[in-house]
Amino acid sequence: MSFRNAVEISATGLHAQALRMRVIAENLANSDSLATTPGGKPYQRRVATFQTALDRATGAQGVRIRSITPDKAPFSRVYAPGTPAADSAGYVLRPNVDGLIEAADMKAAQRAYEANLNAIEAARGMAARTLDVLR
Amino acid sequence: MPIQALDALNAYGRTARSIISGLGEAAPAATPTEVESSGGFAAYVTPLIEQTGTALRAAETASARQVVGQGDIIDVVTAIGAAETALNTMVAVRDRVVNAYNEIMRMQI
Repeated sequence: MSFRNAVEISATGLHAQALRMRVIAENLANSDSLATTPGGKPYQRRVATFQTALDRATGAQGVRIRSITPDKAPFSRVYAPGTPAADSAGYVLRPNVDGLIEAADMKAAQRAYEANLNAIEAARGMAARTLDVLR
Repeated sequence: MPIQALDALNAYGRTARSIISGLGEAAPAATPTEVESSGGFAAYVTPLIEQTGTALRAAETASARQVVGQGDIIDVVTAIGAAETALNTMVAVRDRVVNAYNEIMRMQI
């Protein structure tokens, strides 16, 4: 049943992109999350990396999220003496989340998700069309 | 009519051959002796129906989990899709075999 394999592979793609979307949502939601202690580190942007996942039962190569790693880009430093996270000089480290980058990432995840959905639809259509020969 | 009758015979012949050679993916465990003792048609269709039942049950389990809030919508969609394909396959094969049977029954001897 190669069509079922195709659908399952595309499903792993859907899972991976959904998880990537979750990470992007976390980044966007925490784009203003500062440190809890004065002079501490704010929220650090996280990135999902992908990896080929071999299904040993079928030999199908799907995809999975290998790891969700913190982005090592430097934090920006803003003068805001009123906030609780400000250090002794009155500066606050802000998260290294860039809304523009997240928006682009989100669009990429959305496109990849839709591509996988289209692949599922195509595989199912091919299977159904093959069955129509019997009718 | 003669052409249809030949069609029916062909379908029957193909079914029997696929059972005996074990080519049918749906009936991998069926050996010739088993088939002969339990009747060709039933032996051919039973695994197909079982497979479809398994797929349908998996789809139901996935959707039940989704309703409770534990499942994943992707799993639900793929499970239901697989069940639908299995059911369609089963129905198509059944229709084909029943048609062949009817054509043979209508044959004038």
